[in-house]
Amino acid sequence: MTRLLFAFLLAAAAARAAEPAVFTLKTMTAQMKYDTAELLAQPGQAVKITFENGDDLPHNLVFCQPGTDTAAMAMKQMEKPEEALKRNWLPDDPRVWVHSKMLNPHEKEVLSFSAPEKAGSYPYVCTFPGHALTMRGVLKVAPVGDILHDLKFALYLGSWKQLPDFSKLKPHREGKIEDNLIQVKLDDYKNEFGVVFTGTLIAPKKGSYRFFLSSDDGSRILIDGKEILAYDGIHPSGDIKEQGLMLEQGEHEFRLEYFQGGGEIELYVAWKGADTQITPLSKWLHPQWQGGTKKQKEFDPIPLAVTEEAVVYRNFIQGAGNRGIGVGYPGGVNIAWSAESMNLALIWRGAFMDAAKHWNSRGGGHEKPLGYDVLQPTGEVTPAFFVSDKPEAEWPKWDKTKRYEGFHWLGYSLDAKRSPTFRYTWQGAEVEESFAVEGDGNKPDGKAKLIRTVKVTGKLPDNAWYRIGSGLFESKDGSFLGKGPLPYRIIAEGAQFAGRNLVIPAKAGKMTITYQWAQ
Amino acid sequence: MKRILFLSLLCSPLLAADPVEADFYKITTFATPKETAMEVGSIDLMPDGKLALGTRRGEIWIVSGAGSNDAASVSYKLFASGLHEVLGIAYNPKDKNLYATTRYEITRLKDTDNDGRADVFENVNDSWGVSGDYHEYAIGSRFDKAGDLWVTLCLTGSFSSAVPFRGWALRIKPDGTMVPTCSGIRSPGGIGFDADGAAYYSDNQGPWHGACTLQHLVPGSFQGHPGGNMWYDLAPNMGPRPIDPVPEAFQGDQGRKDKREGGDPDRMVTERERIKQLLPPAVYLVHGKIGNSASAIICDLSAGKFGPFSKQLFVADQSHSNLSRVYLETVNGIKQGVVIPFRSGFASGIIGGRMDEEGRVFVGGSDRGWGARGGKPFCFEKCEWTGKTPFEVHEMHAKPDGFEVTFTQPVDAASASDLKSYSMREFTYAYREQYGGEEIAEVLPKITAATVAADGKSVRLTISPITKGHIHELHLDGVRSAEKLPLLHKVGYYTLNEMPVK
Repeated sequence: MTRLLFAFLLAAAAARAAEPAVFTLKTMTAQMKYDTAELLAQPGQAVKITFENGDDLPHNLVFCQPGTDTAAMAMKQMEKPEEALKRNWLPDDPRVWVHSKMLNPHEKEVLSFSAPEKAGSYPYVCTFPGHALTMRGVLKVAPVGDILHDLKFALYLGSWKQLPDFSKLKPHREGKIEDNLIQVKLDDYKNEFGVVFTGTLIAPKKGSYRFFLSSDDGSRILIDGKEILAYDGIHPSGDIKEQGLMLEQGEHEFRLEYFQGGGEIELYVAWKGADTQITPLSKWLHPQWQGGTKKQKEFDPIPLAVTEEAVVYRNFIQGAGNRGIGVGYPGGVNIAWSAESMNLALIWRGAFMDAAKHWNSRGGGHEKPLGYDVLQPTGEVTPAFFVSDKPEAEWPKWDKTKRYEGFHWLGYSLDAKRSPTFRYTWQGAEVEESFAVEGDGNKPDGKAKLIRTVKVTGKLPDNAWYRIGSGLFESKDGSFLGKGPLPYRIIAEGAQFAGRNLVIPAKAGKMTITYQWAQ
Repeated sequence: MKRILFLSLLCSPLLAADPVEADFYKITTFATPKETAMEVGSIDLMPDGKLALGTRRGEIWIVSGAGSNDAASVSYKLFASGLHEVLGIAYNPKDKNLYATTRYEITRLKDTDNDGRADVFENVNDSWGVSGDYHEYAIGSRFDKAGDLWVTLCLTGSFSSAVPFRGWALRIKPDGTMVPTCSGIRSPGGIGFDADGAAYYSDNQGPWHGACTLQHLVPGSFQGHPGGNMWYDLAPNMGPRPIDPVPEAFQGDQGRKDKREGGDPDRMVTERERIKQLLPPAVYLVHGKIGNSASAIICDLSAGKFGPFSKQLFVADQSHSNLSRVYLETVNGIKQGVVIPFRSGFASGIIGGRMDEEGRVFVGGSDRGWGARGGKPFCFEKCEWTGKTPFEVHEMHAKPDGFEVTFTQPVDAASASDLKSYSMREFTYAYREQYGGEEIAEVLPKITAATVAADGKSVRLTISPITKGHIHELHLDGVRSAEKLPLLHKVGYYTLNEMPVK
């Protein structure tokens, strides 16, 4: 993380005379990330940012007012994609106060502006469709420089009901905290440990300061060796304790003691000067803390990059049930296949998946697709094949406690480009499904298509149907236009309406279905 | 690719004092490919000295050269990726394919074009449920002697089973059919086989488990946690559903603060009399002392190449980043035995482990989500015998009136026959639904005799009283070897499920 350390200033007035804050901010290749997640500047300070796009996709850099939900703002453009495209994907939103143009791959632009006069956390984001979830950061405008310096930790192991006298204990492990933020996920211990943080606190001027503390379990803050605030014992981090203190200008010895018995592990520390906002000194933010931006995502994103070959990701994917198989294809089109319903569950374009939720901590939960324009042509975890003498009938719905009868999952094979062909049996017949991508899903005007090929070998029951879409469709120019909030086209020989179902009579042989976003 | 190997620093004490673990067993930490987090979840042996590593991130890596003394010759090749957590990996010598146990499926991986990367992923069996809960891990074995794979399925959370067979051990036959095999599983951490091929799994402290345990997977048995027992309806081969154990073992204060004279009327011993399918843990891996998070089970089949503990079991712990040693015996048809600390100091939380024929123990793991003493987020390591024999308790056998303790080296008769060299404490854990539990119903027996055998390799202890169902914690602080050295590990915890007749 690039952090600019600036000279210490005695008065706010002098800040205006400060050297400009100069940054280089780059995009990371195929990761949907900036290389810098945090920039620091003082109120009114001149800022110069060299924005370099080293990625193979277009990206911009858009600064917004504090509190802006940047992902929602960027996503909103997809409601009127034609208009957004004319603006080159820059949101028409009053909360945007400075921005770059949309840089093509390997372009750069220098942005020069004055930091806002008002202290706060100003989010920045790439507003190209699908990028905002991971491609973002915060410009922190604060009238002081770094607050904690040379932060170190010492980890102790032991079972306590109250803070022990750490000076009599031998640390299990010691180390430096590079980002100078109080954090207790140092060692991933779950129970029965303690941490002592030590560092230097710099008061920018003589005056009254307020400290804030909350923790689960006990903690206390010592300034210059004197305890100023304690929240000892075993408890959840219910309240935020606070305490005022007069400090001389300059360096002060900072010490924070914390221990964990069992259960949640949380520690929140913040401070505030007479004329500054509450500034957290800890990574974790208490739900009731006053100030700052919206809480950051719990983990740094781990976007799975798709380059020359298809990428398979089997895990819990939101909208694809519990036996989801994600496939990111070269060309910026992605699917999730369900080995529960033996059907295509989701199609989306842009970035593939963020593995951070599953590859951090215990890995629980369903992760949604990382890209944009997510289509769910036939609903969640419902099979394509169904026998009915009325094709307008309601298709089977997912019962989470049961498996679909008549289906048997066989697995998949990968071709030379690592694209899978899924195999299963239904009512004794063998079915193979494979997918190909045309166009470029990373560009909204890239005419991206997903072509699905289904091969059925063996005899199917009478009145067997293969459903390729559900909802309202309009037949237009040889294709079926889905009328949902996100319009898309389905092209398939033999497809017909049946109530809210778009179906093909299912027979042995080959079916080809094309899905295309209708922009 | 070539990787540098880091030898762990073997700290010798400054003064030539008591021996330390590293004198006898050295740990080698391998560098792993930078492009991944090698969160090893499972390890199996492949031909030509290669290893297969399955990871929590769903990758399978083929490792070459890990057995070599020239550690720099270790290299890695990514065989498969994108699987849903590989907590079981098994090489099948018959069809020469790898089989991966993942969250909801056992997958056979084939490399049909021989380019070193799997290109066919076949579902061998996926007949158990998955609800989306993070806790529903599936821990798979390597192939047993019959060619079966075993899989132990974690409950949905700690208490219940949302979908079929969560909380069960299943066997997958070579033709892919599934046989429900044991009920009563809570949160498995590892599965392995003893020298006779019997299957064991490790379970973790929680409801119905006062501590982590090593449990014998006898087909048809109920392993103690009733949360998944509704699936007896789907397992006619298992016979009738066991009656439920009494959830609250104590009838006093649920906060467990008050002492209950006379012990706990509903602990494992008495429940075993009521519930005929209930099998007690073979060994309690005493909480906080042996470990907090039991995982891999490794049997020493190296015929001496790993030192003097041939055919014994080694149980890893994720939280304590260690290996403990288990000697088991069969008393009245039930497995029981002693657990003794063995080797600590692994770099991360150990999850997967496997010994090769040359007596090299390969282990690996990660600290993700539960933390580990090792301090590193993940690791792949090797533990080898240095050739020096430690002075250790070798085996511990239950007797009607005490224990027979054997040693790896002859003892000094004076210290070993001195009653003051020993102390013993007996305790148990309440068998109850509440999470975890204290060591309870403590008994401090008298050691009445310590008789050293003529060859100096064993000591016969008589104690009074000896308590069925209790863990007998034996300290041997004063025992010295013939060379006047103390024991490397001075404590053993014997779980006395059954009283021997002789």
